[in-house]
Amino acid sequence: MSNPVIEVTDASVSYMIRQGASPTLKETVIQAFKRESHDVEIKALQNLNLTLHPGEVLAVVGRNGAGKSTLLKLLARVLPPTTGRVIVRGSVSPMIELGAGFNGELTGLENIVLYGTLLGRTPKEMRERSGAIASWAGLEESIGLPLRTYSSGMVARLAFSIATDIVSDLILIDEVLSVGDADFQAKSKARMKALIQSQAAAVLVTHDDEAAREMAHKALWIDHGRVMKYGEVNSVIDAYLNA
Amino acid sequence: MSLPTYDSQARGRVFKDTFNAFWSYRELILLLVKRDITVRYKRSFLGLLWTLLNPILTSLVLWFVFINIFSSKLPDGTQFAPYLLSGVLLVTFFTQGFNQAADSISQGAGILMKIYVPPQVFAFAGAVSNAVNFCFGLFALAFISLITGDGISPYFLATVIVIIFMMMYVTGLGLLVAVAYIRYDDTRSIFAILTSFMMYLSPIFYPKEILNETMLTVVNANPLTSFLDVFRYVFSNTGVPTWSDWAYMSGFSLFILIIGIRNFARAWPRTVVMM
Repeated sequence: MSNPVIEVTDASVSYMIRQGASPTLKETVIQAFKRESHDVEIKALQNLNLTLHPGEVLAVVGRNGAGKSTLLKLLARVLPPTTGRVIVRGSVSPMIELGAGFNGELTGLENIVLYGTLLGRTPKEMRERSGAIASWAGLEESIGLPLRTYSSGMVARLAFSIATDIVSDLILIDEVLSVGDADFQAKSKARMKALIQSQAAAVLVTHDDEAAREMAHKALWIDHGRVMKYGEVNSVIDAYLNA
Repeated sequence: MSLPTYDSQARGRVFKDTFNAFWSYRELILLLVKRDITVRYKRSFLGLLWTLLNPILTSLVLWFVFINIFSSKLPDGTQFAPYLLSGVLLVTFFTQGFNQAADSISQGAGILMKIYVPPQVFAFAGAVSNAVNFCFGLFALAFISLITGDGISPYFLATVIVIIFMMMYVTGLGLLVAVAYIRYDDTRSIFAILTSFMMYLSPIFYPKEILNETMLTVVNANPLTSFLDVFRYVFSNTGVPTWSDWAYMSGFSLFILIIGIRNFARAWPRTVVMM
């Protein structure tokens, strides 16, 4: 079997945070001089172990604040673990808050190039793909207009189309399946499945249990940063729902 | 094809990694610069002309106010109008470049928390787009220098050196305060005041000749003064930079860049985790 795409070994993420409201610079300086600490340690993730091979899909479930976003940041290379080790082999497509790099003043076309380049592709490649990306999103006619003239549904469609245009080794998905109207949702779900079947590994953070059972092989249930259960998707989701 | 492997335990070298990132993300940097320039002027009537008009109008106001007080104090053969404009252009490069380098990371936090792009790339792009603005301004300065009879120095191409060090200086300063910009809202106001101090403590609109000894020491200790002296000398052969000006300009910017990069690499992971 080929090397796993993701290997997480005993990874923990923790940080210190001041109690109470977010501090101003003044309060921070005063506290530093007084040498008193009101810091508490937040353990966002504790002793996580995870392996994912090409073609495998992992669903991550848990309540709000369980550490799901922290996990995605670890895998997206944005955040290094405080202790432990994270290895990710190959290219990563993060589909997290789609369109975070969009700019309203730029045209749809300019945004395709900029967003794609942020995702690690070259501007030249993006210009070549822009026609296909626009037509998949159903935006051929408005692609030359500034993005601020688009409806939010159009923006979401464009972002999804750009992000899924490439086949990566690892896809990180945070609730983006609920994009656009019913037609587009069906279309995007189909494309997502096709991407996953192309031997990519995927991590799917979702509150939709049915989607998780349908698409994932494994599941991870976390709560307050701790792993509650990790294994075959149906057994984990059953345990999560019965908790 | 060998695919990139990310290993959180691989310890890279901070400086090598940062400069590698500037190089490997050069196409993104160009796009970000293009975006800045497009966005800044897209919805304005005069468009790109503002780049030229803004410093010219600022200098014009200063010219009206100070012409009678300062122009006779300038060294022989130096005209007040190009003296002012060169000062305004360089200080704008400094204040806006610094501000944008620092701000670009907090503005881009939404992206940087989700997609892996080295944040230093955003700060550097901010410095580059202000360098581009500065270059537009040089056309206006060349024009004013020619019509006032100051002329252009045969060494004007050496202005590139000033631009490179200024980019290093503002990138370094930007990285140094970027994390504070994200974590504490009040740092923005503090640094706005500090940069305006630095502006008034450099000879933009007054000649150094009017200063008493104490103030001259203070003004000369300001790195911006060395930048100004060198810039005025290489562009229009006015002002007399000493070797210590060259050394101070390059040494100070390099120093700030190094501590900016080092500090940022330490502080950034601690900031990402909280957001």
